[in-house]
Amino acid sequence: MPRSRRFFSAPANRRELLLPYLLVAPALAVLLALSLYPLIYSVTISLQQETASGVVWTLGHFKRLATDNFFRTAMVHTFIYAAVALAFEFLFGLILALLLNQQIRGRSLFRAGLLVPMMLPPVVVGIVWRLLLNPDFGAINGTLKWLGVNTEHLTWTASPRLALLSVIAVDVWQWTPFVFLVLLAGLQAIPQEPYEAALIDGSSRWQTFRHVTLPLLKPAILIVLLLRTMDLLRVFDQIFILTEGGPAFATEMISLYIYRAAFRFFDFGYAAAMSFVLLALTNIISVIYIKLLKE
Amino acid sequence: MPIKFQNVSKLFGDLPVVDDLSLEIDDGEFVVLLGPSGCGKTTTLRMLAGLESVTSGDIFINNERLNDVPTQQRDLAMVFQSYALYPHMTIAENIAYPLRVRKLGQNERRNRVLRVAKLLEIEALLGRKPRHLSGGERQRVALARAIVREPRAYLMDEPLSNLDARLRVQMRGELKRLQHQLGTTTIYVTHDQAEAMTLASRVAVMKKGRLQQFDTPLNIYNQPANRFVAEFVGSPSMNFIEGRIEHGTFVSDVLKFPIDRADEEVSLGIRPEHVHVSTQSQDGGIPAQVYVTELMGNETFVFLSIGSQKLIARAAADFRADEESTVWVRIETAKAHFFLKRNPQITPI
Amino acid sequence: MGLLVLALLVALAPVYWMVTISLKTEIDQFARPPKWFTFTPTLEHYYDAFVTRSFSEYLLTSAIVAVVSTACALVIGTLAAYALTRFRLPYNLDRKLSLWILSTRMFPAIVTAVPLFLMMRDLRLVNTKAALIIVYTGFNLPFVVWMMRGFFAEVPRDLEEAALVDGDSRLGALVRVVLPLVTPGLAATAVFCLIVCWNEFLFALVLTQTDAAMTLPVGIAGRVTQYEIKWGVMSAAGAVAMVPILVFALAMQKYLVRGLSLGAVKG
Repeated sequence: MPRSRRFFSAPANRRELLLPYLLVAPALAVLLALSLYPLIYSVTISLQQETASGVVWTLGHFKRLATDNFFRTAMVHTFIYAAVALAFEFLFGLILALLLNQQIRGRSLFRAGLLVPMMLPPVVVGIVWRLLLNPDFGAINGTLKWLGVNTEHLTWTASPRLALLSVIAVDVWQWTPFVFLVLLAGLQAIPQEPYEAALIDGSSRWQTFRHVTLPLLKPAILIVLLLRTMDLLRVFDQIFILTEGGPAFATEMISLYIYRAAFRFFDFGYAAAMSFVLLALTNIISVIYIKLLKE
Repeated sequence: MPIKFQNVSKLFGDLPVVDDLSLEIDDGEFVVLLGPSGCGKTTTLRMLAGLESVTSGDIFINNERLNDVPTQQRDLAMVFQSYALYPHMTIAENIAYPLRVRKLGQNERRNRVLRVAKLLEIEALLGRKPRHLSGGERQRVALARAIVREPRAYLMDEPLSNLDARLRVQMRGELKRLQHQLGTTTIYVTHDQAEAMTLASRVAVMKKGRLQQFDTPLNIYNQPANRFVAEFVGSPSMNFIEGRIEHGTFVSDVLKFPIDRADEEVSLGIRPEHVHVSTQSQDGGIPAQVYVTELMGNETFVFLSIGSQKLIARAAADFRADEESTVWVRIETAKAHFFLKRNPQITPI
Repeated sequence: MGLLVLALLVALAPVYWMVTISLKTEIDQFARPPKWFTFTPTLEHYYDAFVTRSFSEYLLTSAIVAVVSTACALVIGTLAAYALTRFRLPYNLDRKLSLWILSTRMFPAIVTAVPLFLMMRDLRLVNTKAALIIVYTGFNLPFVVWMMRGFFAEVPRDLEEAALVDGDSRLGALVRVVLPLVTPGLAATAVFCLIVCWNEFLFALVLTQTDAAMTLPVGIAGRVTQYEIKWGVMSAAGAVAMVPILVFALAMQKYLVRGLSLGAVKG
């Protein structure tokens, strides 16, 4: 019988019929004012330019975008950043989750401790790693020197060659725990029966992993990949503190470039145009992920 | 209070879940809505409670039209199948809730709660939370909550189905006694025909949203309105023998006997207690093969086959016969019901 | 097992290092080889940050903004979440609304930061706590709605129906029956919002530049981009900034995964 048990279908007097709308109205108002309107505003100014004769509608910003090498570089950096960080975070996170999925003594202690990096304010993460990576008195170089390694060229965030890598490493440090946590929860949600069936069927550990664990873990994997990808593409906070996009643009990311255009050069229209492109990008990627999730 | 359903229908999209239901319930009656799942009995109850809107038709209580009255103002009490006890409140608070909502004073509330708790023998549980109670105890609390405010009628949605068999039988008796004591109109939904038979003053049998028969349990048992009712009520269910009436005789693979009726294709319905088995042939019966016997203790069910026809018979407690053995069957043709094959919906002839 | 210990060390050592910097004299800070354990602690940097400089002001601002905006988002969002879970709105509006709410959660912050700054500038709200409170409420609202929807959906419909039949109004049933049952969910959601507000950087950076209005992250960051970086002060401020978060996160461990994965994975 097609009875939807989720919603009330009771008769109501006129006043009660209004109730759901009343309850939703404030939230709707806030969202319209603080999400929708800014978007529209943004699209508007991205299509406008100030000329001597006032404001005109033009695709000028977008045309400029197409030939802006800095923007392209920032995009490339962002993608490399996202791809490499994601790969390592997923790998480490999965290994940690698999390890901690067994009954180990002090398991909750490990979990709690491993949580710390991702809960820190990104600013603090920036401070922590600037301290560690400082070529002169940072603990990393200090300890390496103590071990006899020549750290003269290991200037980490000050080195055009190593900066991107350093920044990626920081992200991996901070966010692997997140991947680990979600995958662990996903693993623990898998019931015992399929494993027992596989054992009886004579499956090896690797086979069980490939044919039982991974497929049942798919939703958690996709969610965590989706969320991380979205976060990585819009990275700002840590980069700002660690390198501010430097040295010499080596770690410039899209969000940073947009910020710079808007708040250092006050080129709001251009910034808006770039935001639009970023938004379109993240939308397309999330749609792809959601499609994969639905299967 | 008397309750009346007048041509009430409920559609979900295009699907009629309740189809043109008309029912008149007298004050103080215990009416059971009986039928298989999906027959619309729970929806009917919920429409009366105000938890579902009525698509067409009218519902009256004491001649007051209920259709547009909001749930909370209908002054009806409901016992849910899941009991719907408020998990975060103590038992006392659960029972007091309807009174609290009506802004009754604290003293008055406490008195009424205690009175009802004593009636249902749950005083010891008043300070506990629902999760610490057994199924039977929760059921009584749900009842207490319904009784405490003396509503116009009680609505019960399969309240016993979550209890184990023994408790169910025990609670059945207590419910019946309680209702007699309180004298309030009660509408009770169940798919269990034994419950319906034992509890109701009248039973409304429903199938696919339509009312099949509304009568006392005895009449429904002895004079079923159609084949569905005949099959649904009674355990073990009625036996059916397919055949036809020709020239004043009922003819089938199993038996023949004269009957004064028009020619027609019919199904003959006969209840197991009217099918008599004997291991002696001299009673002049029809030979049959025993499929299996079930020793119930107080009687024996005998599953028989005559050719391709299967029958169930009720026999005495000491009746014994081996599987595959032959026994003799005598059918009390006076107690037979005839159902037209071309239209099993109409009253048997 | 050894791998886990290693991972734990990797996770905690950097944080530990920062805390030591906050407790070391400047000489010790620059010592080579680095002193991991052998130093005499001093509280001068904490004093410097919170008494001499304005870090306690930033701290207070962060706290006020976080609490107020969380409270607003909770109230508005919970009501909306309840409506979306329990009522059937026409044209599938409730589903569309929910999806829209989810998508706003995925926006890159910078996309709305620019226009919001311009809007606030027009309203003359730049450099005020009010601007941040408003923006953070908008920030947290989708999350609150999404999370609370999940929690409301777990309350059986039967209970509200029983309350209605018992004579309560819809709102009464919500307050007396449903809300008490989602209290843990409310608490978890509140904590998440607080954490997000506390850690938030971009909007605060964009909207507040004066000492009076800056939040703690901005205050810390501001000092970093200057010439003379007082690492002791920074670390002290950083250490204090991280304490509430860690406390909250540990308290809410049970709901952590659910919150972080937007309810997709039940932790």
